[in-house]
Formats: sequence, structure tokens, C-alpha cells
Amino acid sequence: MSYLEIKNLQKKYTANGPLIVNDMNLSIEKGEFIVFLGPSGCGKTTTIRMISGLEEITGGDITIDGESIVNKLPRERGVSMIFQSYAVWPHMTVYDNIAYPLKLQKLPKDEIKRRVEKAAEATEIQGLLKRYPAQMSGGQRQRVAVSRAIVVEPRLFLMDEPLSNLDAKLRVTMRTELKRIHTQQGSTSIFVTHDQSEAMSMADRIVVMYKGKIEQIGTPMEVYQDSATRFVAEFIGTPPTNFFDASIIKEGKEIYAKGEGFYYKVPASLHQALADYVGKEVDMGIRPEYIGISPQKKEGEGYLCDAEIDFIEPQGSHSILITRIGTNQNVKIHTVDYMDMKPGTKVSCYVKNEMVMFFDRETTKRIK
Amino acid sequence: MMDRLSAVQKCVFAIILAGMVMLVTIPLLFFITVSFSNATEMTQFPKRMFPSGEVTVYVEPEEGGKYELFYDYKDGNGYTSIITTNSASKLEKHFARQYAVTIDGDELLEEFAKTRTEGAREFTFKKDMFYNFRQFFKIVPNAGPALKNSIIVSLYTILISLSLGSLAGYAIARYKFKGREQINVGLLIVRMFPTVGISIPMAVMLIKMGLYDTMLGLAFLYSIPNIALTSWITSSIFIGINKELEEASFVFGANSVQTFMKITLPMAFPAMAASSMYSFLTAWNDTISALILTNENQTLALVVYKAIGTTSSGIQYAAAGSIVLIIPALVFTFIIRKYIGQMWGGVEL
Repeated sequence: MSYLEIKNLQKKYTANGPLIVNDMNLSIEKGEFIVFLGPSGCGKTTTIRMISGLEEITGGDITIDGESIVNKLPRERGVSMIFQSYAVWPHMTVYDNIAYPLKLQKLPKDEIKRRVEKAAEATEIQGLLKRYPAQMSGGQRQRVAVSRAIVVEPRLFLMDEPLSNLDAKLRVTMRTELKRIHTQQGSTSIFVTHDQSEAMSMADRIVVMYKGKIEQIGTPMEVYQDSATRFVAEFIGTPPTNFFDASIIKEGKEIYAKGEGFYYKVPASLHQALADYVGKEVDMGIRPEYIGISPQKKEGEGYLCDAEIDFIEPQGSHSILITRIGTNQNVKIHTVDYMDMKPGTKVSCYVKNEMVMFFDRETTKRIK
Repeated sequence: MMDRLSAVQKCVFAIILAGMVMLVTIPLLFFITVSFSNATEMTQFPKRMFPSGEVTVYVEPEEGGKYELFYDYKDGNGYTSIITTNSASKLEKHFARQYAVTIDGDELLEEFAKTRTEGAREFTFKKDMFYNFRQFFKIVPNAGPALKNSIIVSLYTILISLSLGSLAGYAIARYKFKGREQINVGLLIVRMFPTVGISIPMAVMLIKMGLYDTMLGLAFLYSIPNIALTSWITSSIFIGINKELEEASFVFGANSVQTFMKITLPMAFPAMAASSMYSFLTAWNDTISALILTNENQTLALVVYKAIGTTSSGIQYAAAGSIVLIIPALVFTFIIRKYIGQMWGGVEL
């Protein structure tokens, strides 16, 4: 049995309303850093609010260490939370903010002092204990919120988009900081975000959610390289995966994906999976970095089509080329080889390393 | 960074500002001067801008041990004879009533005796500055109890409207329920009714409840518009208090009572202080409802109103009474001023 178990969790806000969280199942091991990733309104915040007890559950069960927590009040659950707005109380000093949970536990004064100082040290705000939140910057307030969350030594550490109010540069610093504190404390954490780079860089495992359902659970590499559904492939990655409408055609021993403007020979490794789809329409997805280009005519293994480069977006370390293939007017190609290509150049496009993904039109699931 | 004003802009701004300040302060200053004026000064024209501290009379000795007193003596021209007497008690009364100078009559006669040897001359006496105030409490014998009544009714009004109004405000801010908008608008409509209109039915109700002519009954009436106002002010503050601040308190170990006492209430305190000021001022300044709903237990505002309304010659006493009425309101506002400042953005919530 895992440390935290979520079984068939459901949430409806109104009796006849839609399921905001729809039959969610998830197991989390002790010490893991889990990130809930999804667009706004996908139910990720609702889920951690249900874990914290701020939101009632409609159905299902949540257990920590084998013990159900759904009928407990938030304060009895042994979880702590960092809120999007930091929720640092403006009428208390930093010290009082951090000491608040300990004071409620009626701990002796010297122990409170010791623990507050230790927590402040972990987030490097020892010098600010006497200040009021209004006298502090956003990043400092964030640190106070983190201190307050770790001072209670929680069984579970919940973070609800804690970095979204910070400026871009600070966000990256705090990201590392939070990960460091997580490792130091050895705590089990759930982090909610809609920012995929945040999710990728912090998570042990990412839970990708969409419309109240889990689309995929996996390590950052798994969800990126081995996306389970069309949504995951589209949501994760900047720029996102390029999609093409394709129909599967069998010619002799070979299988081809035919779309407007391209005729792609499917690698042998996918033959078995695609066998049932012969004669059907599917979605074909290729990540921008797996579309190779060559200024010379290059047909053969992996060849997709010929195209003309419309725009070029240099990024320094690489460039994004924008072109049209068939009905997709906005195909993005990530390149490090042809960074200063001129718009209007005619190129041959091919798929690198057989990294092509096919998705079922009905279920949106990956065909593999 | 604020834009810098040019010299012309600054000038115009200063003139407008000065004009506005004068518009407010001149009547007030005049009123204060009146409250410190004696009866003779009241009849003078033009009126003084600042209260005088002394009274000068011109005394001429007369036959039969009498003295003729002149007031407003200017180089022997334009002065008026006020009184000719040799009676000590008459003099004493005259000085107190006309000049607000409290001095023994025999002492005056002794002083004036100097004119027999030195000839007619001027005498200057120190004015008793608080004569009008003392006189007000003397003329209006129930002013003392009325002051006490006013304080009691104000405290009741603050208590009732703050406790009910802030709870209503919290509910409107935090919970979604059927008819929430209607209640919100309804509260405003309650506020539109003139209190005097509610006074008559209220009087009937209070008589039935046995609360007529009590401060609690009066406080109920004053609370009607103020509960509405308090809930409006506090609900907007409660909306402004991020819900996550309360939720954080729940997660970190507090129950709802602890959360309300330690988190919500301290943050809503400025709004409550501000609305308590409105409640206080309603209760403190009202005369017309107090006139209808009380009989013997009158409030200070009502007593002052009656003093002004029934006198023709003692305006200065009524003015003194009004100053007495203003002072507690000023003190109260002064105490809570910093919270009002906080309410309008002095503190980041």
C-alpha cells in the first residue's frame, strides 16, 4: 500500500452539475514530489483542496498511511499548504505567522522559538522575523509561506500554484529552492501548476490532468517522450507537438500514413499496433525537434514531404522554423543545424529516429 | 511618481484649497466665538472673529453714590450708557449677565470708588471664558443626565449595529445563498427610509414592548439604518480579505472560532471602527427621533435643540451646549481615525 492513496475520487459542486474531478485514482509513495499539471479548470486545484480538507469530496476515498482522512477536519489531517496568494497574514509579523500553527498546538514557548528559527533558516529569512508582510517583497513573502508550511513537519506538503505570482526570474530560483527544501525535509509533496516547464523541472512524477481526468502519470521524460494521449502530446512541450490528419494505408508489407501533402512510410515497429487502423483516419503527431530538414532533396527512410519555410524564430541556442504541411498551416520545427535559414527556402522534411506518434480519433489514446 | 505641478497650477490649487477650507472653518470658528461671547458682544456688529478675553467698561461717578457705566467706549464718542446704580447685587448680576464677568459686587463698588478722586476712567476685567458653558448646564437642568443618556444610547447603537451588521456583512461576502442580492439591495432600501418615518410605528412598538423612553429602545431605532450600513461596509471589506487567508488558518490548525477571532476580525477591524463611527454619529446627533421616542430620558442633542429652539436671547448658551455636543464626537473620531485611514488602503490585505 502506498503512502497516499486516492481512490475513485469525485467532486461535483452542484448536485446535477458536471464532475469536476472524475473517478481519480492515484498512489503516491513517501518522499515523492508529485506535480499535478493541466490547463486551468482541469480539477487539479480542486483535488489538492480535497486532500487538504478545504473542499468536501463527493465520492471516493483518500488515505494517508492506510488511514482515511476524508472525514477529518483540515487541521486534523497533518497536511500543510502553500497558497497561490501566499496567504501570509498581513496583521502579524513574520515570526507570528510562522509560529501560528505551533501556538495553536500549545507548544512551550522555547520550543516554538527554536522551531520557528529553524524553519526561517531553511528558507533564509532569519533576518526578517520582526517584519510585517507589507514590508516585504513577493519572493520574501513566498519564503514566509514556505517556512510556515515546513514548521509543522507535515505528513503531506501541498502547493497550489505557489510560484505563479512571482516574476519570471524569481520563479526559476524559487523552483530550485522548493525542490531543495523538499529534499532536505524528506517530505512528500504535491505541487499544482499549469506551467509545464515548472512541472518538468521539479517533478519526480507528473500527473497530467484534463477535464477532471488523469491523462497520464509518469516521469517528466515519460510524459514528454512517450505521451499517452493526444492531449498530453499537445499540452507538453514548447512549441507543442505538430499534428496532422492522416489515414492509414496498407500496401503489400508496408504501412503508409497518407495525408494532404505527405505520404509517410510508417516504421516497422508500429506495424502491429496500426494493423487495426488500416483504412481509418488517425491523428499523427511529431514533436518539433523530431522533424528533420534538409535543403537538398532527400527521399528515403523517414521522408515526409517537401515544404517551404515561412518564418523563422531565432532563440539563440536553437531556432524555430515555421512552415506548412498539408492542412496544418503552422508546423513548427526545432532546429540547431539550420539556425539562419532564410524564409522562402525550400526544404525536405523527414522524421528523425522514427519518433512519430499516432492517436486514436475516438479515444484520443496513443496507438502503440 | 506624482506629476509635478507648475507654479500657476500650484497657485490655483492653493487658492481653491484655501477657499474650501475657509468655507468649512469660518462658520465653525464663528460658532466657537459665539459660544465664548458675552451678551453684549452678541448684540455687537460686526461680530468678532475671535473670542475676546477681557471686558472694558467706562465708569463715571454720579450723585447719591451711584455710578454710570458705559460699554464700548471709543474716545468719548459712540458709547452707550448701560446702567446707573449704586447697588452691589445689581452690579454683580449685570457684570455676570452682560459681560460674563463673575466678580463680587462690593469689590466692584470699591474699585469704582477710585473715580470719585481720580475722575471718570476705564476699568478692564477678565472675562470668565466658561461662563456660557456653566450657564448652559444651569439653564438646562437635565443636560448632565442627557449627556449620560447620549453616551449610553451611542454605545448601544454601536453594539447592536456592529454585532448584527458585521455578521450579515460576513454572510453576504462569504456565502452564496438564495436571495443574497435581494437582501443586499433590501439593506440599502432600509437605509433610504427617513428615520423619522419609522419613528411613529417604532414608538407604538416600543410602547408595547415597554421600551418607550428607554435608551435601548432609542438605540433599536438608530440601529435600523446602521445595521444596513455596517453590513455594506464590512461585506466589502470581507470580500477584500482573501479567502485563502482564512483557509490557511484552517489548514494550520485553527477551528472556525479561532480563525474568526485571530485572522478575520483583526483584518476587518478598520472597517468595523469606521462603521462604528457612523453608528455613533447617528445616535449622537439625532434630535427628531429622540423627540418622538423619549419623554423624560432625553439625549444631549435633543436638549441642545430645545435650548436653541426656545430661546431668543441666549443663543450663546445654546452655542456652548453645541460645543459640548461636538467634543465627544470629535474625541471618538480622533481615536478611530487611524483605522479609517487603514480602511481606505493604508494596509495591504
